Amino acid sequence: MDERVIEFIAALRSAGVRISIAESADALRAIQTVGVIDRERFKTALKATLVKEPADVPAFERCFPMYFGHEGPPMQAPQGLSPEQQQQLQRAIEQLRQQLQDLMRMLAQGQQPTREQMQRYAQRAGFSRNMRGGRQLQEWLTERMLREMGLTPEQLKEALEALMKQLKQQGMSAEGREEVRQTVQGNAESLREQVARFVGQSLIQQANESPRRQRIDDLMNRPLSSLSESEADELRNHVRRLVARLRSRAALRMRRGKHGHLDAKGTIRHNLRNMGVPMELKLKRRRLKPKITMIVDVSTSMRPVAEFMLRMMYEMQDQVSKARSFAFISDIHEVSMVFAENRPQEAVEIVLQTLPPGHYNTDLGNSLNTFCQSFADAVDHRTTLIIVGDGRNNFNDPRLDLMQALKARARRVLWFNPEPPYQWGTGDSDMLAYVPFCDAVHQVATLKQLADAIDHLFQHR
Amino acid sequence: MFSSIAEVTQALLKQQYIASDEIATVVFLAEHMGKPILAEGPAGVGKTELAKAWAGATGRELIRLQCYEGLDESKALYEWEYAKQMLYTQLLRDKLNQVMAEARSLAEAADALAKEENVFFSRRFLLPRPLLRAIMSERPVVLLIDEIDRADAEFEAFLLEILSDFQVSVPELGTIKATHQPMVVLTSNNTRELSEALKRRALYLFVDYPSFESELKIVRMRVPNLVPEVARQCVEIVQKLREMDLKKSPSVAETVDWAKALVAINAKHLDEKTLNDTLTVILKHESDVLRARRALMGGRRGMETGIR
Repeated sequence: MDERVIEFIAALRSAGVRISIAESADALRAIQTVGVIDRERFKTALKATLVKEPADVPAFERCFPMYFGHEGPPMQAPQGLSPEQQQQLQRAIEQLRQQLQDLMRMLAQGQQPTREQMQRYAQRAGFSRNMRGGRQLQEWLTERMLREMGLTPEQLKEALEALMKQLKQQGMSAEGREEVRQTVQGNAESLREQVARFVGQSLIQQANESPRRQRIDDLMNRPLSSLSESEADELRNHVRRLVARLRSRAALRMRRGKHGHLDAKGTIRHNLRNMGVPMELKLKRRRLKPKITMIVDVSTSMRPVAEFMLRMMYEMQDQVSKARSFAFISDIHEVSMVFAENRPQEAVEIVLQTLPPGHYNTDLGNSLNTFCQSFADAVDHRTTLIIVGDGRNNFNDPRLDLMQALKARARRVLWFNPEPPYQWGTGDSDMLAYVPFCDAVHQVATLKQLADAIDHLFQHR
Repeated sequence: MFSSIAEVTQALLKQQYIASDEIATVVFLAEHMGKPILAEGPAGVGKTELAKAWAGATGRELIRLQCYEGLDESKALYEWEYAKQMLYTQLLRDKLNQVMAEARSLAEAADALAKEENVFFSRRFLLPRPLLRAIMSERPVVLLIDEIDRADAEFEAFLLEILSDFQVSVPELGTIKATHQPMVVLTSNNTRELSEALKRRALYLFVDYPSFESELKIVRMRVPNLVPEVARQCVEIVQKLREMDLKKSPSVAETVDWAKALVAINAKHLDEKTLNDTLTVILKHESDVLRARRALMGGRRGMETGIR
C-alpha cells in the first residue's frame, strides 16, 4: 500500500502540487491511523496531509481515483449456467473469429485482462511512451483503445449477435442465452471503465517521468512571449508565489526597521509607571514607507509580455501600500483604481481592453508629458519610479528633459525592458537615450529575470 | 483519546457541533498524530467553533490567541511583570539593604545582589501569555490560534518553532517544555497566503459553507423552538443569498442569529414583512440588503403570480 501511496504522491507532484518529504511521511502515518477500509476516510486522510491549498484540490480529486479506484469494477462469470451450458459457451467462443474470441473470453467468461494484454491493446491504439497530455488526450486514447478491443457499442452488438448465433447452434436454451447476454453487457461496462482508468494512469505515470522541477526552471527561463496557455497559467501561479516571497522579505525589512534610535521622550513617558526607572526602552521606529509608481507600456510590441507585467503591477500594488500604477500607449492612464477594485485576472483584462493596441502609435514622450502635468504628485523624493517598456518610441520625441526632471524628483528610477541589451538603440528604440536617467536597467524577458529585478527592488535602497 | 472516527462525530455532536465526516477524520488524525489543524475557509463557517467543541468534547481547557497585525512575542508568549518587580523591590528595600549591608565595596554589593537575582526573575514575575500558558498548563489544553492570517509573517515564523517542539526558552529561566502536548487549531480566513512551512506542519482542513441539509440540522439543533417550516425557509434563503454576489455573505452564525430573532418575534411563517424586518440580521451592508430585497421579493412575487 505504501508504495502505491508514494506513486500517488509522485503523480500529485507532477500535477503541480507541492509536497514535501515530511508531508509524505505524514500521509503514511495518517493512513496507518485511519486505516484503508473506508475509502472516503482514507481519502480525507490523504487530502488533509498532502493538499494544503484549495487550488490544488482539483488535481487531487483527479488523481485519486486513478490510483485508489479499484482497477475498475471487477468482471463476473455468468451465474447459473449448468456445466453443460458452460461447455456450450466454451465451444461457441471457439467457433468465433480470433479477435472476437479474445474479447468474448473476457466478456462472457469474466476473465480479467492482464496488464500485458492491456498494454498490447494500448500500443495498437497508438499509445506511445512519450505522450504527454491532459484530459482530451485521455479521452481520445480511451476511444481508440475501445475500438481496438472491439468494445464500441456497434462492435459489441455485432460480436454479441455472432456469439448468440453460435450459442444457438450449440443448442443452448433461451434462458441460458439471455444470461450470457446480460453478463456480456455488464462486463463490457466494467471493461470500458477499466480501460479509461488504465489510460489515465498510464498518462499520469508518464508525466511523472519528466521531472517537474526541470520544467519550472525551463519555464523560468523561457521568454514570456512564447508560452502556451497552460504554461502561462503555471507561470501566473509562480508569479503569485514570487510575490508572496516578496511580502515576507518586505516584512523582514520592516522588522529591521524596528531597531531604531533611542526615543528619549517616549522612554521616560513609558517608564513613569516604573517610577521613572528606565526598565523598558522605547526606540524610535524608522518606518519604511516605500512608495512605488509604475508605468507600463501596453502597446503592440509589448502585448505578449504586458499581461505579466500588469499582473506583477497588480501584486505590487497589493503589497506596497503606496503604489500607483499607470499604463500607456500614446497617452497615459492611471489604472490604480482598476487594480484596487477588481480581482487580478479581471483587472488585467480591463486594462488591456481600455487601452486597445493601435498601429505604431506608441508615444512615451507624450505620455511622460501628460504624466508630469496631471499626475506629478505620484512622484516625490520617496518614490521608486519603475518604467516597464521597450523604449520603442516610433521616432517621437523621447522628451529626455522630462525624464531628467523625474529622475531629479524620484528617489530612484528603474527601467524593466524585455528586449536584450544588444537591441537597445536599434531602429526606433530610444532605450540608450533613456539609460543615463535610470538608476538601474534590468532586462526582464523571463520570469527569472523578473524575480531578480524584484529582488533588487527591496535589497538596495 | 478517541478510538474511532464515529466517536469523534458523536462527541462533537454532544457539544452541539455537527461535524462532517471530513472534519471528524481530521480531528481524529490530529489527536493521533499530535499535529496542529489548519482550518481555512470563509468567515463564519464554524472554524473557531470547532476548536471550542473539540475542547469541550475532550474536557480540555481552551486557550485562545486572537491574532492581529502587530502581534508580537510579548503579547503572545510571555512578558516580565515590570511593575510588580518594581513594587517588590520597593517593599523589600530594607531587606535588600540588609543583604548589601556587609558589602564593603561596590563590586561586593553588586555580587551580593546578583545572588538574589533569580528571586526577581522567577515564575512569580512571569506574565504568561496564551502560548506559554498552553505550554505550562498542568492539564491538557486545546490551543486556538485564531485568524493567523492577520498576524505578520514574522510572527508566523516564530510560531513554527513553538508548533514543532512545544517548548519555549526564557533566557532567565531556561527551557520550559510542555507537560502535555497541546492540541492546536489554527484558523485562517484566507486574507493572505500563509507560509508553506506552516502549512507543511499542519493538517489542512478546508471548511466551506455547509450544505442545505447540514445547515438545517444546525439551525434545528441550536434553535429548537423555531417552527420547522420557518427553519427550512430560513436556511433556503440564506443558501440562496450565498450564491449572490454580495459584499459579505451570511455566515452560519448569522443564520442561527436570524433563527433566534425569528423565535423572538414569534414568527409563525416567513412572510414578506417579517423578511423585510429581519433581513438586517443576516446582511450587514446597506447595498447588500437592497440587493437581496430586490432579488428575494421580486422572485417571490413572481412565484406567487406564477401559482395563480
